[in-house]
Amino acid sequence: MNDKLLKINYEKHKLDNGLEVILYQDKSLPIVAVNIWYRVGSANESKGKTGFAHLFEHMMFQGSKHIPKGEHFRLIQEAGGSLNGSTSFDRTNYYETIPSNYLELALWLESDRMGFLLPALTEEKLSNQKDVVMNERRQRYENQPYGLAWEILLSNLFTQNHPYSWPTIGWMEDIKNFKLDDVINFFKTYYSPNNATLVIGGNFDFDNAIKLVEKYFGEIPSNNSIPNVNTPEQNLEDSKKIIHEDNVQLPRIYLAWHSDKIFGNYDASLDILSDILTSSKNSRLTKSLIYDKQIAQDVNAFQYSGKYAGMFIIISTAKPEIHLEEIKKEIFEQINLLISNGISDEELIRSKNSIKSHYIYSLQKLDVIVDHINHYNFYLNEPDSFMFDLKRYENVTKENVIESAKKFLTNPYVELHIIPKKSKRI
Amino acid sequence: MIDRTKAPVPSENISFEIPKINYLTSSKGYEIFYISKEKLPIVSFNIILFSGSKFDPENKKGLALLTSFMIDEGAGKYDAFQLSNEFEKLGTIFSITVNHDTFSFSILSLKENFERSLELLSIILNEPRFDEKDFQREKKKLINKIKQMKDEPSYIASTAFDRQIFQECYYSYPSIGYENTVNNITLDDVKEFYNKYIKNSKKKFIAAGCLMQKEISDLIDKYFTTKEIILPELELKLPEKASTKYFIVHKENSAQGEIRIGHLDGLRKSPDYFANKLMNSILGGEFFSRINLNLREKKGFTYGAHSSFNYYQKAGYFEIGTAVNIENVGESISEILYELNNIKQNITQEEINLAKSFLIKHFPSNFESYTQLSQSIALLVIHNLPLNYYNEYINNIQLVTEDEILNAAKKNIHTDELTILVVGDKNKILPQLKILTNELIELDIYGSVVEKLNL
Repeated sequence: MNDKLLKINYEKHKLDNGLEVILYQDKSLPIVAVNIWYRVGSANESKGKTGFAHLFEHMMFQGSKHIPKGEHFRLIQEAGGSLNGSTSFDRTNYYETIPSNYLELALWLESDRMGFLLPALTEEKLSNQKDVVMNERRQRYENQPYGLAWEILLSNLFTQNHPYSWPTIGWMEDIKNFKLDDVINFFKTYYSPNNATLVIGGNFDFDNAIKLVEKYFGEIPSNNSIPNVNTPEQNLEDSKKIIHEDNVQLPRIYLAWHSDKIFGNYDASLDILSDILTSSKNSRLTKSLIYDKQIAQDVNAFQYSGKYAGMFIIISTAKPEIHLEEIKKEIFEQINLLISNGISDEELIRSKNSIKSHYIYSLQKLDVIVDHINHYNFYLNEPDSFMFDLKRYENVTKENVIESAKKFLTNPYVELHIIPKKSKRI
Repeated sequence: MIDRTKAPVPSENISFEIPKINYLTSSKGYEIFYISKEKLPIVSFNIILFSGSKFDPENKKGLALLTSFMIDEGAGKYDAFQLSNEFEKLGTIFSITVNHDTFSFSILSLKENFERSLELLSIILNEPRFDEKDFQREKKKLINKIKQMKDEPSYIASTAFDRQIFQECYYSYPSIGYENTVNNITLDDVKEFYNKYIKNSKKKFIAAGCLMQKEISDLIDKYFTTKEIILPELELKLPEKASTKYFIVHKENSAQGEIRIGHLDGLRKSPDYFANKLMNSILGGEFFSRINLNLREKKGFTYGAHSSFNYYQKAGYFEIGTAVNIENVGESISEILYELNNIKQNITQEEINLAKSFLIKHFPSNFESYTQLSQSIALLVIHNLPLNYYNEYINNIQLVTEDEILNAAKKNIHTDELTILVVGDKNKILPQLKILTNELIELDIYGSVVEKLNL
């Protein structure tokens, strides 16, 4: 049953200008989802220019040569669609889900900003969106309890010349300093058809769809000199400990190790390891820290992996009066126990079953499916990788899980404590 | 070369069939609402009880929520770990949510595991263990959670706002409770809440999935057996109308000001619902709405600003929410007030067309996932709307006239009865509010009055 469900039938085309086009038909509802991935993210930035890929994503919604500011949103919403974009380390995506008879509208809009963004660029728009992004940074990070933890971890785990050492939102000073020329250069460097993949999913006709794509995207020139990203080998010599005071009530500990890249040999077993540590009441750290010892309010472990590097992170909030050292000690005891005594069949099966059903649940929404297709195409060069991906997890053995814990979690790590400001301690 | 100057027009018209919502009473008399959908082997299932935190006693706020934390910590022959293990083996997502009106149980499962998941849910609902050791742990967890909320500016703004607009009625208090009220709760209180409001109270069963009528009805009869009672109506005393007031909750050195502005309004079933919905789309409901375009795309004061009409079962309210740079709090409030006054003066045909087009054409995408389907049924059940509600929706939007939309703004936005509240550093905010008001009330983080400040 699952094999058939998870099989994605698609057509893949490449236009003369290098634009990859993937078509995935599903006629069960009268909607189409259009999803473009540009192969540029914060990893393509350099020191002093951080946050730019994300700021640029904002500029892509500010209108282009044939589309005045505000019209992109207005036209898609008038058609009953929903739309957005997002930026990560490795890529930037733009997407809209619309009634199927508006496919041409979406392609017209996406092609205009891929091919004709620069004529519409103004200082005023840039300055407005810099303000918006600075407020995004304030709202989501600076004004949030524990909100700065992520960037503190990244900048300590990675060396300054590694592009994962800064957060995707960027440093405030860098955001402030962006100039119009930066936008123009960034566009010219990265926003070309040969650096993008367009996925169309849903209710459409194959011939018509590819004809429309040719019509709107075919004339956009390609750019053959897209710079490579330099990622120096990362190897933490010694563990580091950082203490940061914040507006919080309860102290929280973060432990971060270098781990495997996305789809690397250990990536799937590290995901399963994180399940075995914290995904439910029966997971090891949850059971020991929250239920048995009752020293933590919460605990969460996850493998976070990208194209150029991966990291394994464990986060736990202390209960009042509990010292973070106590939590840390228990975390390491549990890791050592797992490495020396192994894991049970039941623990492995539980994790695999949950991963399998989540794959099927993820097929409920077209926008999720097309984004997955782009994800697989980007990292594996094969859009139909749902089965492959699931098999990665099904093939993980008990030994693999122990081995990956041993390989990564016994190395030096970054330890961050976010603690209440002195005046606020309870 | 192609002509890029004009937006392409839509191709052929499309047709969309609203999924049919079926209603039936099982042999044992249970009320079941369901939608059959083949496509994927998934079932989204809910049980809704009208047993929310409105039944929390005055000095034990947080009781309904704590009961929900306790109810799946062991039931029947399973302890908390075994129970969780049973769900995990199935890959089923099980959750319980509590708000002021309802206490609901949800399952998202594969069809092949639905019966077993339902059986586990029935054990949780019918035979919770309520062990003392679990109680002590869950109670501490809840108290710590409340502590942690003290630093969440958006949570503080919303709860303080609720406290001010609802005053002494039950919608005024957060479901999560307060440290001292949760401290008062004993295990006997939890058991009593369960016995009085959960165990035998009237259940509404909702299912969306790859299931036939008889299957659902037989399964529910198989696993549920208790007799049902209808809970008494609680008296709700909404506050009297009051003139516009300004409030501040002080947060030292905050990078932003969290703003909430609004007032009480009518019920979900109000005849003004569709006119309000359209008017609010123009005012602040969407990205393209006036308030967001002004504060974000024109001024750059915020990452986003939003307004909405919100509906509890027995009350409704209108609220605008945004987080703005601390330097721009005063000006942001002025701009919002300008927009509230301005929409009573004029709404263009173009704006109405856009709002109607958006709501009508976007409508089918509310019925895509199994979870969306069960949620769409839940909305009808909670607000007692007719089964053909969604079939009439588009027509109801279309029928609203230009005058009715303008009148909705004039009638339902009360610019002289506003609660205007900011959470942020008062040393930076007070000077900015001088041109707006002479009087300001300082609240604590729970929304209770600390003192009156004269500006």
